Amino acid sequence: MGFSWDFLFQGFATAFSLQNLLWALVGCFIGTLVGVLPGIGPASGIAILLPMTTVLPPTSAIIMMAAIYYGAMYGGSTTAIVVNIPGEASSVPTAIDGYEMAKQGKAGPALAISAISSFFAGTLGLVGLTFFAPLLANFAVVFGPPEYFALMFMALTLIISLSGRALLKGVISMALGLMTSLIGQDPLTGASRLTFGFPKLLAGIDFISVIVGLFAISEVMINVEQRITAISQKIGNWMPTWTDIKQCLGPMFRCTGIGFFLGLLPGVTPSVTTFVAYDLEKRVSRHPERFGHGAIEGVAAPEGANNATSTAGFVPLFSFGLPTAPSMAVLLGGLMMYGLQPGPMLFKQNPEFVWAVIASMYIGNVMLVILNLPLVGMWARICVIPFYILGPLIVFFSVLGTYSIRFIAFDVWIMLIFGVIGYFMRKLGFPVAPMVLATVIAQMMETSLGQSLLISQGSPLIFFTRPISAVFMGLAFLSIGRGIWIQVRSKAPEVAIEEAD
Amino acid sequence: MKTLRPADIAVGCFLALLGLFIVYASSMIREGVERALSPRTIPSAVGYLILVCGIGLAVKSWRFRGEDPKINWPDREGAKIILVSLLFLALYTVLMNPLGLPLSTFLYVTISILYLKPSKWITAIIIGLIFGMVSYYVFIHLLKLSFPMGFLFEG
Repeated sequence: MGFSWDFLFQGFATAFSLQNLLWALVGCFIGTLVGVLPGIGPASGIAILLPMTTVLPPTSAIIMMAAIYYGAMYGGSTTAIVVNIPGEASSVPTAIDGYEMAKQGKAGPALAISAISSFFAGTLGLVGLTFFAPLLANFAVVFGPPEYFALMFMALTLIISLSGRALLKGVISMALGLMTSLIGQDPLTGASRLTFGFPKLLAGIDFISVIVGLFAISEVMINVEQRITAISQKIGNWMPTWTDIKQCLGPMFRCTGIGFFLGLLPGVTPSVTTFVAYDLEKRVSRHPERFGHGAIEGVAAPEGANNATSTAGFVPLFSFGLPTAPSMAVLLGGLMMYGLQPGPMLFKQNPEFVWAVIASMYIGNVMLVILNLPLVGMWARICVIPFYILGPLIVFFSVLGTYSIRFIAFDVWIMLIFGVIGYFMRKLGFPVAPMVLATVIAQMMETSLGQSLLISQGSPLIFFTRPISAVFMGLAFLSIGRGIWIQVRSKAPEVAIEEAD
Repeated sequence: MKTLRPADIAVGCFLALLGLFIVYASSMIREGVERALSPRTIPSAVGYLILVCGIGLAVKSWRFRGEDPKINWPDREGAKIILVSLLFLALYTVLMNPLGLPLSTFLYVTISILYLKPSKWITAIIIGLIFGMVSYYVFIHLLKLSFPMGFLFEG
């Protein structure tokens, strides 16, 4: 079940079929658009489109969804550099030096180096994914329900502890996510839970309505109140000089490594690694004073880390069925929607699927460089679409996406409610990521907890007596301890750090 | 509530009440046959967690004595825009079944753009028409998704 060149070549053969190439291109295009447009991120973009992809075969649908995700990582930098509007939170460090370069008339080289660095890191990250994921999947084959429960528990605690100083708010966010997914019928007994007598709640709340509401609708609400304006910059010549490229080679290598290895951890999203990468490059640079004033390494470093992290997120997703970020949680939901069992068995039972998706990512990276370099002028113009047009269109697509889950207006109402909840969560400094992840993995957690307790005849000690689950539980408790320690020492009020979609 | 401290106290109290309510609602869940994990266990654990964290948030904020950060609430005009936009979205949802997706989309997009930028009425109508048609040709005709068609296209 481990890595095999045959599987990879078969994957390339499937990915190179006309249909899959087309859907990868569509995904790359939509992804770049999602990255370029402020107000819509990859998680909501994928969530909106997911129900509509039921007309496609699973492989094509997931190829497209994955392309949207990594495509958005390319697109986010364009607006950050050209108009100083980071399309995603992860593009904020890129905007620092990228926009400075644009003001100096060097927007072209900044955009080019951003695309080159993204391609370089994305491709190296893919090599890591190709060899790492089957290895980890081999290791995960021995996982039973206790190990899975402990792994998911650890993922949730890590995500909460990375919510900045907002530990309590992170736990509340997670608990609200769990509560949302508990609404409906108990999967084993069929008993109705938390439905409060509403028959429509018996079928449960679909996670897509929750995610679209939390991200897309709340973002629209925030943008309409701020009434965004944009300033255009001239792109100029887009070719970077050899000196520029040589200057960026070191940062690209370093930040790919950082982005990839940190990206394997749950909760470490590109918005975290891009800042880490930018900070590291500034520290190791011989001329740190250039950072913030248009240093080209300040563009290459975060962009490399951004793409390496987003590719690394596929490693735990494919090998353990573990989402490390909200966008990955939506992709996990997509896999489950198509009846694919995420985790180690994916490599065993559906190798043609998983290797086709991995191979398509290599192709997608090439497509993205082609889409991003010559068409940069077009993307820059798209990002200045005024919000009075963009806002209603985002809502239109959100309504289409949520309505098409079950073709009932009820799901749209749920989206609206979670839009309002998401708006208040952002205003009051509650992190959204724990809620999204809890909503998606709650049922898997409950099932594995139930099975574990069945094995142990009701004893929770099973999580501490099996070595792998004991390690995960230990890490989870360490993470909780770290969070509590930060809370006790911190004299500041609870505010979550800025998080990525 | 212009700053975070009073808002967190209020939210903490609200969450504590919500937690209590979840605990109560969980006790109403039918148990059925005896299992290692009862259908009540997780909902009541979640209820207790919300209750404890809500109290914790309220108490922590109440005891906080440092510089209280301001909440970036919208001004009166911003709040009005949000409320009206939400109302448009609610009307879009309500009208989608009787009017159908194409017509309700045309109305929603046109009216929303007109509301946000009244001077751009031609743009509003053109974009509304384009997306009304897109909703019909792409999503109903091409993808064959079961969206309501409304009286204009039925029969």
